[in-house]
Amino acid sequence: MSTVADKSEAVSASTQFLSDIIGKPVYVKLHSGMLYTGTLESIDGFMNIALSSATEHYENKDNGLINTYNSDVFLRGTQVMYISEV
Amino acid sequence: MSNTPLDLLKLNLDEKVYVKLRGARSMTGTLQAFDSHCNIVLSDAVETVYDIVDGEMRSSERSSEMVFVRGDSVTLITTPEDEE
Repeated sequence: MSTVADKSEAVSASTQFLSDIIGKPVYVKLHSGMLYTGTLESIDGFMNIALSSATEHYENKDNGLINTYNSDVFLRGTQVMYISEV
Repeated sequence: MSNTPLDLLKLNLDEKVYVKLRGARSMTGTLQAFDSHCNIVLSDAVETVYDIVDGEMRSSERSSEMVFVRGDSVTLITTPEDEE
């Protein structure tokens, strides 16, 4: 049985994760299946994401490179499926 | 955290942007305005639609002087390759 205290700990752990990975290389998967890799510049509570030096693949990094972006890329939060550290 | 992703988008105001949309579409134009829903106003916009005909990828374009893009179809916003 989880308590209110457990829940607030879980919430702070997730926000802690998001602030901890700023500046690190990350994977971002969108609902469309597109996978973006780059340095996490910024993220907000809506999961809007800004990446620098991003690359674009479909589903898997082993699938061919689709694009490289030399300037910052903004990804819309509602389209994000997950974000993870590389 | 001072600079949210939407704050960083402000740097692109009055600049050329490439907007990826749902359903194999994209739009380039000059970013006039946007809001927290990612509703976007572009001037001198060109919409590109990609499709596959007989196994070959084709694209068609259509321009408009000013366009309002509803936020829910936006997936990605960046600077176009040729503007860097």
